[in-house]
Amino acid sequence: MNEHDKIRELLALAAADALTSAEEKQVAEHVRSCIACSNELEAWRPIASELRRLPTPQPSSWLVQATLARAEAKLTEQAEHDWNRRVMIVVVAFAWLLTIASWAVFHVVSGRFERLLGPQFSHTWISFAAFTALEWLAGGVAAVMLAIRQRGERRLV
Amino acid sequence: MAVDADVVRLRRGDLNALSELITRYQNRLYRYLLRIVRQPAEAEDLFQQTWLRVVEKIRSFDASRNFDAWLFTLARNLAIDHLRRIRPQSLDEPLANSWHSETVADRIPCKDHTPLDHALAAERRTEISEAMAGLPMIYREVLTLRFEDEMKIEEIAQVTAVPVSTVKSRLRRSLEQLRYALEARYPGGTWQ
Repeated sequence: MNEHDKIRELLALAAADALTSAEEKQVAEHVRSCIACSNELEAWRPIASELRRLPTPQPSSWLVQATLARAEAKLTEQAEHDWNRRVMIVVVAFAWLLTIASWAVFHVVSGRFERLLGPQFSHTWISFAAFTALEWLAGGVAAVMLAIRQRGERRLV
Repeated sequence: MAVDADVVRLRRGDLNALSELITRYQNRLYRYLLRIVRQPAEAEDLFQQTWLRVVEKIRSFDASRNFDAWLFTLARNLAIDHLRRIRPQSLDEPLANSWHSETVADRIPCKDHTPLDHALAAERRTEISEAMAGLPMIYREVLTLRFEDEMKIEEIAQVTAVPVSTVKSRLRRSLEQLRYALEARYPGGTWQ
């Protein structure tokens, strides 16, 4: 491809102001001495100019308001979701803390029972596991009940 | 207030920032979507979906990036998914309907031009918009981003996720196809 052909390929981009400064310089120098390319560049100009002046379609005010309302609802829902997640993390951390702390209490209490009921009673770990399971079961039931209530409230809103 | 400040406020969950961003980008975003899908009802739906996606993803937005490019990329991905789902052929095929619409500002007469000038200018705009609507999606997209949104080639490359050289090549081909379409539709007209 010779110089003329290379420049000719750049003319459409020149009209679109999409050339590098080096390419722009090349094109400018070439069209000064080449009438065919100069005419071709001029043929591109009205197309580029009209493309820049195409009317902008406007979204309706209804669309903008509806979008804003939906996006705001989403933002509020996300904020609520984040808050619930933070509360859940705190609750779970507290539950674990309580579980670990209760182990020591259980150990002491079951040790006393062991002394009262005899050497056969050495089920500290089983008792502890049962207590933990009960604790988590109660927590789970509470969480489900809260979720059902929250869903009911949302339906009413 | 700058876009960056609004983006920071939106990341904190500020509803006013969201309202300001929607107001600021409404025309550009709607026009871009309409140029891609060509059906106002579909563009309206995608417009809403894009802002919902913005709300969902704003926390993962890298503040060092250009918000314009990020927003248009979200819109583009939604529009392309939509076209693949609804009309797979429409990514390449032209459509008979025109998306051309006129704004109030376009109807305001200018003192320097005669009514005949206005009529001719309107006719040229109609011709070019109809020819543009007949181009494949990737060509319509690059034309609207470059000429109507006045995005730099590098920004278009970010939105379309292709190298700068590909954007330039698409831009050149889109202009060539547009000119060819104009010359074919209006032989002997002012486009030759």
